[in-house]
Amino acid sequence: MIFVENLHKKFGPVHVLKGVDCHIREREVVCVIGPSGSGKSTFLRCMNGLESISSGSIVINKHRLDDSKTNINLVRQEAGMVFQHFNLFPHLRVIENVMLAPLKVAKVSKEEARAKAEVLLAKVGLAAKMDVFPGSLSGGQMQRVAIARALAMDPKIMLFDEPTSALDPEIVGEVLTVMKDLASEGMTMVVVTHEMGFAREVADRVLFMDQGLIVEEGTPEEIFSSPRHARTQGFLSKVL
Amino acid sequence: MFRPFEWQDLLPLLEGAWLTLQLCGVSGILGVIFGLILGIARTSPSRIARWISTIYISCVRGIPILVIIFFVFFGIPLLFPGLEPDKFSSAVIALTCFAAAYVAEIVRGSIEAVAKGQSEAADALGLDYWRKLRYVILPQAVKIMVPPGIGFLIGLVKDSSLVTVTGLLELTHAGNVVTNLTGDPIKTFLIVAAMYFVICYGISWLGRLYEKRTGIHVDPLKVPEPAGL
Amino acid sequence: MALYFGDLLPYSSLLLEGLWTGLYITLVAMLAGSALGVLVYLGKVGPGKPLSVLCTFYIEAIRNTPLLVQLYLIYFALPALGVNLEPVWAAVIGLTLNNAAYTAEIYRAGFESVPRGLREAGKALGMKPAQIVRYIILLPATRNVFPALTNQLILLFLASSIGSIISLPELTNAIMSVSNTTYRTIEVLAVGGLLYLAVSALMSLISKRAETTIFRWAVGTHV
Repeated sequence: MIFVENLHKKFGPVHVLKGVDCHIREREVVCVIGPSGSGKSTFLRCMNGLESISSGSIVINKHRLDDSKTNINLVRQEAGMVFQHFNLFPHLRVIENVMLAPLKVAKVSKEEARAKAEVLLAKVGLAAKMDVFPGSLSGGQMQRVAIARALAMDPKIMLFDEPTSALDPEIVGEVLTVMKDLASEGMTMVVVTHEMGFAREVADRVLFMDQGLIVEEGTPEEIFSSPRHARTQGFLSKVL
Repeated sequence: MFRPFEWQDLLPLLEGAWLTLQLCGVSGILGVIFGLILGIARTSPSRIARWISTIYISCVRGIPILVIIFFVFFGIPLLFPGLEPDKFSSAVIALTCFAAAYVAEIVRGSIEAVAKGQSEAADALGLDYWRKLRYVILPQAVKIMVPPGIGFLIGLVKDSSLVTVTGLLELTHAGNVVTNLTGDPIKTFLIVAAMYFVICYGISWLGRLYEKRTGIHVDPLKVPEPAGL
Repeated sequence: MALYFGDLLPYSSLLLEGLWTGLYITLVAMLAGSALGVLVYLGKVGPGKPLSVLCTFYIEAIRNTPLLVQLYLIYFALPALGVNLEPVWAAVIGLTLNNAAYTAEIYRAGFESVPRGLREAGKALGMKPAQIVRYIILLPATRNVFPALTNQLILLFLASSIGSIISLPELTNAIMSVSNTTYRTIEVLAVGGLLYLAVSALMSLISKRAETTIFRWAVGTHV
């Protein structure tokens, strides 16, 4: 579903991604772990065009991202993104946050958008908060709304950029639960995360990135129990 | 009656510009001194200090500077018979009164911006108010006072133009005088405007230099912009 | 010396008329100036390079020269251009042009202060740039500029006093003419000052209440 070939990304003189190769299959849950500065977030953000590709190619759901003729907005409709800092729209009520993109991008009717939004908010457990403004929500609640908002566009892929890093430890669980449900329903997910427990439990594959490259990849058992690379071992010994 | 504008007419304008610089220099320094005192009073734990400073600041900021200039220029001889400050002094007094109030707000904002945690850390270490102020808060606050302070200084230069009503020969009044001699207000005041521009832009350039050197940049939305004139 | 306010009584209507004129002019200049300010801001950040340079020059020229000098130039330039209007108009035009430059800068700061993340969330949802501005950026940006704009209104009201120097019949002008007639300079300055103070304090109060009412969703947050 997502084919990444020899992906390079430079920010000016800084070479952040140095040739990443990756193939993510449909319905696969892939977790990307690694130290900060390894390029994990940049890698994720290249997939929906928030960062441009310096060289190499990404083919996501049959769209070539390095082709200038590609309609990036179509790609973004098929790949939903959840951000570390939620980025909810503060001036819109929760339900309006979820309805905005379907209304204005997919151009569905108001009734349809509303009905779908209510279903999604119930799914993430926030039906009761439909009409409040994000300012009064806790971090975990905001992130769950953000997930519902991304799901409202019926994406084929969900991209998560450190979704729980900005949350208090006791609230992390409620967001991970929603993500686990999503995975068990068969959603293709790419998750950049520090939550090793989640990766171990839910991921089909784990990628360890360091200094702009995928150093090691494998199933959770392979990576966590018997990492082969020295750098992987070094990283895991510090975080586990 | 009128004679055309000539190069020699630049001289009174330049003299006026120089007087403006002197006026703003003196008022600026005095304004900063009194503004610091007022700003510290405004944020002090003493209720009386806070009240007095707040009343003063609110009053001055709620009245046009022109009215303050009139008040000082006409009022002092009337209120204190025998006391007749010359035009320069009365202009300095008026501008300083006004400057102090604005600087006080900048000082207050900077003191409050130095994270609350700093204040609590200092308290936890057992520093009393004055020591905390002197060794912890002010050194940090002073650094972030500079960018809005630059903005205030520019505003002061522009506001000094209002002193023209007292007849002091600063730049704007010099412009009036030259206009009366040459009958060419547009050319004269374009030059006057250009001179103000050079002064103000020069000050803001220094400010940008400071921001580059120290990396301290201020959110323009939060700065009390007195330079609305 | 003895202060006697009684002499001012017959002139109270003159003072109040001056106050009213000042307020009226302020509102006109604020509305026109804010509208013009939007255009100037758009011109500055827009794609056209010469327009952008022109707008930048305009903003810098206004911000680095005194309002009084600007008023003088307009006051003298108008007859030269063949336009013969009362000084009121020179003052209104001057205040409007002056206000536009400052509001343009306020808009710029307001737009730039909206967190990048919101823009990215809009992009990630597949929204086009125009949609992002309209549905996501506009309201939070407005909330950010609101206090600065209301502050600008108060400053403009106080600045209208400068119009008196080119014989605009507002409050300061009235103060000086009453002072010349009655010689009660201190008293009339005090009364006039209090009038200004009362109005600016009222403006400040109303804008704070308006802010919490209009932008209910922002209570407790800084966007």
